[in-house]
Amino acid sequence: MVKIKYIERPGLTNRERVFFTDFINGMKITIRNFFRKTITTAYPFEKLTPPKRFRGTHGHRVKDGREPPSFKVLEKFMDIKEGESRCVACYMCQQACPVPELFRIEAVQTEEGKKKVVRFDMNLLNCMYCGLCTEACPVDCLIMTDIYETATYRRSGGVIHMDDMTERAVDFDRRRYNEPDRIWIDDEERSKLWGQIKWS
Amino acid sequence: MELVGTVVGIVIKSLIFIIGMFLGAAYLTLLERKFAGHVQQRPGPLHVGPHGLLQPIADALKVLTKEDLVPNSVDRVLFYLASLMAFVPAIMILAVVPFGEPFTIFGLEIKPYITDLNVAVLLALAFGSLSIYGVIFAGWASNSKYPMIGGLRKAAVLIGYEVALGFALVGPIMMAGSFSLREIVEAQQNMWFIIPNILAFVVVIFSILAETGRTPFDVQEAEAELVGGYITEYTGMKFGLFPLAEWYIATFVLSAITVIMFFGGWNPPPLLGWLPIPAFVWFSVKVFLLFMFFLWVHWTLPRYRVDQITEIAWKVMLPLALANIFIVAIWIIIFG
Repeated sequence: MVKIKYIERPGLTNRERVFFTDFINGMKITIRNFFRKTITTAYPFEKLTPPKRFRGTHGHRVKDGREPPSFKVLEKFMDIKEGESRCVACYMCQQACPVPELFRIEAVQTEEGKKKVVRFDMNLLNCMYCGLCTEACPVDCLIMTDIYETATYRRSGGVIHMDDMTERAVDFDRRRYNEPDRIWIDDEERSKLWGQIKWS
Repeated sequence: MELVGTVVGIVIKSLIFIIGMFLGAAYLTLLERKFAGHVQQRPGPLHVGPHGLLQPIADALKVLTKEDLVPNSVDRVLFYLASLMAFVPAIMILAVVPFGEPFTIFGLEIKPYITDLNVAVLLALAFGSLSIYGVIFAGWASNSKYPMIGGLRKAAVLIGYEVALGFALVGPIMMAGSFSLREIVEAQQNMWFIIPNILAFVVVIFSILAETGRTPFDVQEAEAELVGGYITEYTGMKFGLFPLAEWYIATFVLSAITVIMFFGGWNPPPLLGWLPIPAFVWFSVKVFLLFMFFLWVHWTLPRYRVDQITEIAWKVMLPLALANIFIVAIWIIIFG
């Protein structure tokens, strides 16, 4: 049986009732805020850079010598040149996705018997940006970049393809590949940026 | 000939007052939005014109060019009449508000007020009470539940606070011995009427907040529970007229009345009378400060429940106003 602790409603003292001290306290707070600096960003003219781990529009990393070892194993079965998307069409991203219909992945067999990815479309209108697909990717190909302006004039603009995903990831890696992730509490830069968090 | 001159003069003055009030109200919206923004640590309108200065004009253009929808089942006559009934009484009070002493330019005596009636205070109160019809009509004619509830709430609040406001203004009238706003101001040359009338001033502040539907008394709108209150079914400029009349023109005019009754109107503050500042500027500064005070209260406080509001009106504000009359009577007996 759960015991219930009864708590009296805090009553007003006569001083509070007569002089509306709660009004005065509240108005003190607003006037203090009134003279503070504004904390907003004038958005189309000033844009904030999200953290590196921000989950923005997806990108495809390319074959550039920085692949994880798993890619070296799969590489010999694939028809991928330097600078092309390192996708191996394993469908792991689609498996992990809560809305798998948004992927359209197609691969064909070339004449040498190698596998070539010919299509990798994502319909971002259905995407919830959970990032499960990027975690599922075995070759660290599918990533999420820091680009968050996804509005388009047509619904077809919400669908991203392999070539523009490649461009996006190349651009993202050029800008931020070497940047540390800043999620570890012993990172000094991170402490400077966001302060020290006391973990309970 | 003299009659024609008077009529022309009054027409011109009325036009100046009405157009000035429209423009003023438009810029009071900007003032309010800037104030609200900075209270919440954001800058408010910023991009139309330098620092958002042309925003009211852009808003007016937008509201005027919007499609004016009228729902099928409304009572059309009352529906159209309501927006006027809310707006006209608020601006009619301007007829008796004196903005300064009569002055002379190029040998022409100009009185910065439209009329100087000997029942000006009563007239202002009467016009203030008339705005209740706009609210009731809007609530009834919309033929919808939320406007109806909003209109009835506002009517209950207005009736309660009109009584308290009327009694609160008795104090200054007793001290000045006149209903004319100009004579009340002239009676305050030595001492402002705020001194013995502090209780009445508190009552007046609360009454103005309630009558103009600003928080903590904005039950008629109560956007969390009543959609938009009695303006729910309105669109376009008819929609725009209600807040314009209520939040800006009524608040401004009632602020002016309060300044005249309690803060000496265009009289300079004590010890500052030697400054070469015209009377009109003193008056404007006082009204502006009072208006800012109302904005400050509005953007700070949450809303009272509707029964608490009427309870405050009848159980607190009315006795306070009566007590003020008693105090002022004793003051007059002692100090003459």
